[in-house]
Amino acid sequence: MDTRKEIMADGLRGRVGQPILRRDLLKYGAALPLAMHSLDLRAVEKPKTATSPKRVIFICNSLGFYEPNFFPKVRGDLASSHYLQGLEMHDKMTVYQNLYHPGMDTSNHDSEKSFLTGAPYPESATFTNTISVDQVLAREIGGDTRFPYLSFSIYDRGWGCSWNERGVAIPPMHDEVAIFDKLFGEEDLSAKKKQIQNDQLIVESLYRDLEQMKVQGGSAARSDSYRTVIAELEAQLQHEEFWLKAKKSEVVNTLSDDQEYAFSTKVRNLFELAKLAFQTDSTRVITISLDWIYGAITVPGASGGWHTLSHHNGKPDVLGKLVRVEEDIIKQLNRFTVEMDQIDDGEGRTLLDNTSVVIGSCFGDASRHTCNNLPTIVAGGGYRHQGHVVSEKPTHLCNLYRDLLHAHDVDVGGFGNSEGDDGLLAI
Amino acid sequence: MSLIANHIVRQGCLTRPQSLLAALSGILALCLALCCSTLNAEEVDPTLILENYCADCHDEDTNEGDFDLYAFLDEIDLSKHTLMYENLVNDKMPPANKKQPSAKEKALVQQWLADKQKKSAPKPFRRLSRHEFVRSINDLLGTEIDLTAKLSEDRGSRYFDTDREIEMSREMLSGYFSVAEELLDQAFPVDGFPNPGNWQTSQVKESHKTYKIYHRPYRDGILFSWTRANNGNSYSFFYDHFEPPVSGWYELTFDAAKVGDFPEDIALSVYRGKHYIADDRPQPQTLMQVISIGSPDVRSHTIKVWLEPGENVSVHCYSKHNFRQKDTRQGIYIEKLTARGPLQSQWPPAAYTSTFHGLPISAPDRPTDPTSTTRVTVDSGGNPDDVLQQVIHRLSERAFTASLLDEQLAPYHQVAATAYAEHGDLVQAARQGIKAIICSPRFLTVANDHSSPSYAAASLLARSLWLSVPDTDLLAVAREGGLDTEASQRQAIERMLADPKSQRMVRSFCDQWLNLRSWRTVAPSLKLYPKYNDLLDHYLPRETLAYLNHLIQENQPISHLIDSDYSFLNQRLAQHYGIDGVYGHQLRKVSFSPDSPRGGLLTMGSIMKVTTDGYETSPILRGVWISKNIVGTPLSPPSEPVEAIEPEHGEHALSLKEQIEQHREAKACYACHKSIDPYGFALENFDPTGQWRDRYRVKTAHRNTFTYRHQGFFELGGPVDASNEIAGQPFEDIFGLKSILLEQDRRIAFNIAKKLFEYINGYQPDLAQRQDLLAKIPADQGGYGMRDLISDVLVYSIAAEKGTRNGH
Repeated sequence: MDTRKEIMADGLRGRVGQPILRRDLLKYGAALPLAMHSLDLRAVEKPKTATSPKRVIFICNSLGFYEPNFFPKVRGDLASSHYLQGLEMHDKMTVYQNLYHPGMDTSNHDSEKSFLTGAPYPESATFTNTISVDQVLAREIGGDTRFPYLSFSIYDRGWGCSWNERGVAIPPMHDEVAIFDKLFGEEDLSAKKKQIQNDQLIVESLYRDLEQMKVQGGSAARSDSYRTVIAELEAQLQHEEFWLKAKKSEVVNTLSDDQEYAFSTKVRNLFELAKLAFQTDSTRVITISLDWIYGAITVPGASGGWHTLSHHNGKPDVLGKLVRVEEDIIKQLNRFTVEMDQIDDGEGRTLLDNTSVVIGSCFGDASRHTCNNLPTIVAGGGYRHQGHVVSEKPTHLCNLYRDLLHAHDVDVGGFGNSEGDDGLLAI
Repeated sequence: MSLIANHIVRQGCLTRPQSLLAALSGILALCLALCCSTLNAEEVDPTLILENYCADCHDEDTNEGDFDLYAFLDEIDLSKHTLMYENLVNDKMPPANKKQPSAKEKALVQQWLADKQKKSAPKPFRRLSRHEFVRSINDLLGTEIDLTAKLSEDRGSRYFDTDREIEMSREMLSGYFSVAEELLDQAFPVDGFPNPGNWQTSQVKESHKTYKIYHRPYRDGILFSWTRANNGNSYSFFYDHFEPPVSGWYELTFDAAKVGDFPEDIALSVYRGKHYIADDRPQPQTLMQVISIGSPDVRSHTIKVWLEPGENVSVHCYSKHNFRQKDTRQGIYIEKLTARGPLQSQWPPAAYTSTFHGLPISAPDRPTDPTSTTRVTVDSGGNPDDVLQQVIHRLSERAFTASLLDEQLAPYHQVAATAYAEHGDLVQAARQGIKAIICSPRFLTVANDHSSPSYAAASLLARSLWLSVPDTDLLAVAREGGLDTEASQRQAIERMLADPKSQRMVRSFCDQWLNLRSWRTVAPSLKLYPKYNDLLDHYLPRETLAYLNHLIQENQPISHLIDSDYSFLNQRLAQHYGIDGVYGHQLRKVSFSPDSPRGGLLTMGSIMKVTTDGYETSPILRGVWISKNIVGTPLSPPSEPVEAIEPEHGEHALSLKEQIEQHREAKACYACHKSIDPYGFALENFDPTGQWRDRYRVKTAHRNTFTYRHQGFFELGGPVDASNEIAGQPFEDIFGLKSILLEQDRRIAFNIAKKLFEYINGYQPDLAQRQDLLAKIPADQGGYGMRDLISDVLVYSIAAEKGTRNGH
């Protein structure tokens, strides 16, 4: 173990033999510090903390919401918004108006890459993303659970809203049966243990292999890029080994298999999995990317290419169908928040009270591909909710993300392009 | 997709360098300098040529498309030359209605631009793609287990799997570890190989009451008639008494005959999936293979398929265009289904004979008893350590396509030796060593550091043509330095293309270049296109693959991408295209009559489908597809805010052209859209399934939940107008467009060469490389074919890689 730690430290910083500080490790990826953290600090039993843990979920509706239906028509009156009427938890939510990410004026759909990162000009050929806010949280609060974070999407597109600290996309999971199995399925523990140990031996040998490559004098960039990921994999193995000792929660499979409205079913199931994962404290950070592809979808009352419909250009018949799709998404969101609010999380608080639900989009108006005035809701989380908050001037969405990080006791000066001190979240 | 979207809509303003770059699309617009005496290109400074043809529209004052030629020429960093170069090659600039430079002048400017551009320095390595990973391991072990779907797509929004900018993530490495484990588990199972079973059945499981009449007892078995479920799915019936006990390859034999008095064959579609009874909401079934049943006598038809435990085999029979067979006494009579498996393609398995080459392998005959297993053991001859060393040595040479020293291989050997010391199991110890090899940085990151130029060439060829590692023959040639000359490389390419594994390249290149990998993401609306079904969905992309494979294998001219008088069809595709007299479901070469719009890629149903959302067609999207993938017209984002447009047909059909023309009227849009949209307009006669149409279809309402009916839910809308003009050349429809494109076959060949280069190398060729590629394509295409093109680009890529190696 000691050898491995040394090699790892060498791989990361070139400082053999020096003790690794947690603070140092935090800079090098989500999984690595988590595992060390778990090993050092956690007992096998769930820690008896004074208060229930805080959780957070980010939801990106990649084609936005039809603006006139989203924001309240009467300032401060959530019921004056067509979509918000479909959400019941008005007293536990805040709708933000006039938030945006700067540097998206020509980004089009590429803005989706920056939804949780705020990195400007994602359409540029030389664009490299930055860490997404969910991954910062996973790094900080993810180590205490079996899964440091979970990232879901509708399709197998290979990227969603989660990006690691090197700006590499973290492929979301999209198959709900596979997700359920990963979360709650039975495992052959002794086989898994053996497997982890075997892999750990292989990882050790691959560190030696890297040394050999160095002697041989190949591309240093090549070795370095591999060294970084194998160090993270090593930490993941340690994390998994630790969690073998704790039994997975037993959960009834409540996923729907309605094929008539496959799109609605998918969205519903992803929310259902998020609820179950929070309820069982399997993770505390979840990201759901409601990503789009060019094909057609069917929801109650409408079918068509979601993307095609989003370019309604004001035509009433097209808009009518788009609104059906968006209403359906709102319906699933409502179901999720209402059910979260029915689950007791101790001390007179519900699961929703301990979970910040951030709902938003990379588009303000998908029909015109504009990224101003992004539709943004924060629900739950136990904040002093303010109903309808309209910023006087366009305000960076990253300010809200920064406030969220602070609310989770993450000690960062800022996040992305956050600026000033707006205090968007009332704690 | 985002690129497509980029062109449809734009809101924003020109505030940043990217936008300026975008604006270069306006570049070489014409207008001639004052006195245009005839210039002798040989003696003239290329900047004077630029000034002569471009300055009137693009000087400081006119500044069209926000491009100032003089500012451009003053810039020190001339990396923005690519667009100018491509605009010249593609005759986009100067515009057709302006004075044109001579061929010599153009060539001079192109070369000048290439010389000025800084040499590109692509990243010296890339990660192995998931496709290459799975193929390589299967080839190394002699297995055929496709676990690609268990690895996430990691390409992001990039086009080619090989793109060097794609970075490996922990999640990917973790995926490689677990897929490697699963593949090795199948190749060297700890508890032995499951013995095969033998099942015979002529009974089906329960089906929904609505569909029961479509299977009936008949002679010694069952007669299946065709039916689609209420939601339009092909309703399939599940065989009983055969539950695959383990995952593996199985042989399914159907003893079947056609019952019906019509000339067509009936398709027997064989699916796998979980059994269901429900009416409309079947669990997803996977169509594995199609058997064509044409004989009235019972004959045996055998297919080999991969099955997983928990799944069943189901069959669906289909003929003609009927929704449901009214006379259920017609269909396919299946006397019985015989299943055998799991099969081993050789015994002892290839993984053992190749890994432990030359050692005594004990593999007792496998009894027919699916409840037991048979162990295969290897006799180390008392020198387990030597054996492990040899195993690592042999396997690593192929995996890394390099000859490494023992000390370099020590880490892998050590893993195996440690495992052997722990449990004394030679096979499992070797397996650990192999896993270390296939999860290593040497295997998972492709870099140009092979131990000799021949190994490097072998590696590049194997990855490009087979998505894999070299086979033992190629490796033997490379070991002797036998791939150092161009002649020897071409010889190897010939052999490798003749190998069936080259189909992987055809498939992979089609998926990426033509975007056929989006196949599953678009499902045509059954309201508008009710005749679309699983069978058609299965064969449409296969037509494209068969056609391209033919062009490559038979070295057919590049122009056949645009037009030819044949394609590869079967009964279902021929029905779809309205061609009579094709019976049976085997794809075969079928000739088109001269008045057929078919022939070439553009009019194939597969291409027509992936360029729509399944409901409507968009000339802009299809225009972008042709510009990018076929013609190579440079595209750039719109330069100023534009209202969105997603053209609609049906009730708006009459105004479709007006809608788009409005969009184009805005001057900023016009420069680009006039060279994009016309291609798409020419294809308006093809609906989203690729069928010919003279009028649009407009959806009509239905009550309550959609229930499939074979006439669909539509009425005919406005007429299709496919006429337009491109670069001053008017055309009436697809026939006219094809003639125009056929005159540009060199440009199209150049575009394919660039795409191939990127597919092989993982980066776009710089201008000097483009000049080299362009020079390889003869001005007169007579005798030059797809095979020549592929061979040329491969040989060139080997030299380019060698160049970067020497440069480092």
